[in-house]
Amino acid sequence: MNLIELCDVSLHFHVHRRGREALKDYLLHGLFRRKQNVMEVKALEHIDLAVDEGQRLGIIGANGAGKSTLLKVLAGVYPPTTGTRRVTGRVSSLFDISLGFEPEANGWDNIRYRSYLQGETPRSVNAHMQAIADFSELGEFLDTPVRYYSSGMLVRLAFSVATAIEPEILIIDEVLSAGDHSFQAKARQRMLALISHAQAVVVVSHDLGSLRQLCSRIIWLDHGRVRMSGAAGEVAAAYLAYTQSGEPRAA
Amino acid sequence: MTAYIADLWRLRYFWMALVRNDLRNRYRRSFLGLGWSLAQPLAMTAVLCTVFASVFGVSLREYAPYLLSGLTFWNFISAATIAGCQSFFQGESYIRQHRAPLAMYPLRTTLGAGYHFLVGMGVVLIAVGIFSGFPNPAVLLGLLPALALVFVFAWSLAVCTATLNVLFHDTQHLLEIILQILFYMTPIIYKPDILVHKGLGWTVQFNPFAVFLELVRQPLLAGTWPAASTAWAGVLIAAATVCLAALLLRWCERRLIFFL
Repeated sequence: MNLIELCDVSLHFHVHRRGREALKDYLLHGLFRRKQNVMEVKALEHIDLAVDEGQRLGIIGANGAGKSTLLKVLAGVYPPTTGTRRVTGRVSSLFDISLGFEPEANGWDNIRYRSYLQGETPRSVNAHMQAIADFSELGEFLDTPVRYYSSGMLVRLAFSVATAIEPEILIIDEVLSAGDHSFQAKARQRMLALISHAQAVVVVSHDLGSLRQLCSRIIWLDHGRVRMSGAAGEVAAAYLAYTQSGEPRAA
Repeated sequence: MTAYIADLWRLRYFWMALVRNDLRNRYRRSFLGLGWSLAQPLAMTAVLCTVFASVFGVSLREYAPYLLSGLTFWNFISAATIAGCQSFFQGESYIRQHRAPLAMYPLRTTLGAGYHFLVGMGVVLIAVGIFSGFPNPAVLLGLLPALALVFVFAWSLAVCTATLNVLFHDTQHLLEIILQILFYMTPIIYKPDILVHKGLGWTVQFNPFAVFLELVRQPLLAGTWPAASTAWAGVLIAAATVCLAALLLRWCERRLIFFL
């Protein structure tokens, strides 16, 4: 069964050149220049994608090719402009994870808030609380407001919460750039465990080597379109050949 | 719609925890704590009572609870709509990571304002008790649906201001001006009959805020059930704003993320 299915999905952003308008201006002369303020960016075009149970899908491509956007469509954060998205199962997404804390609340409370947002109840959070705290290795820092945390500490906390429960569908953007060396190793281990337990995984990464190891299939995105899709080894080799051939790359 | 509300309910621990956190933060650094938000309407009531009692010769016994209830009501409406403006930006980082019903972000700010409203209403009740004796408990029970209606009304207004504020940067500024005008158009510091005598009765009759204020005041101050027509007007107005909010939310769920 397909756990994730995108059917002819396109995503067009409407970028507002001058940022937010004033309501006064809009009402006064909005009638005459409504379209001018908007610029359309075609982030994804006609993407068809299906991930079966047990599959691990990798996504590669140059910067700005639409990889992260595609992940956000999969996670349901970006609604597609056209086309349909169907996802069956509990999704856990690991991107932008160092965002979304209540700065004045302490670590313990923030663990709660995040867990609740993932749909947990006080009872189920209590059961995980200590394990999350232990994994984050933040110790007594958990008693201080998150406002005082370093970015590395925030990532530790966020990662520990986000990975505390094994999801059915796991969506990962290269999140582990922060955190010190020992934590990175530990996080990588947990990530591998999660990936091997999840029913479906989609990973974005620039690390071709580990993608080839982890994934059964790879999709190569280029300017918002699927340029190539197939067995991991094949696509990775083609992509590598392309980047090394010195052809102009997308900025 | 039902699925949406079920989703909202499923995440209740999330937004309820955030409301608690907001309230705690608000009082963490203030010495008076909750008393501070009560001090403002109480002080204003004291000042206006002094002025009105000495200049216009109104009866303090009647006027003080009237004014205090009006101010408490209005503080709730303005706090809910103004805090609502920021609610989507406040929740931006959550919105960027998780697909969840957007209505919960204005709900979070409205619940915060609603907490103060309830405490304020408690103070009004005490004032009524001091000045003219406690009203009939059975009638007070009628206050509960009125408060619920006012809450739903304020929540849907907060959804509207939140959406507008994402689109237009001057929303909050304009809202403050509009609230100021509405404050004087609503019988908060004066009695509606003054306007009716002057032929300006329409400002009260067609003013949704006056309807809700009446629904709250009647059981509290007069100790009687509000007129059925007023109650129906309240229900209809709340239904209309809920529909508007639902339409906006439908738009928001598809497009809001691109404006944040």
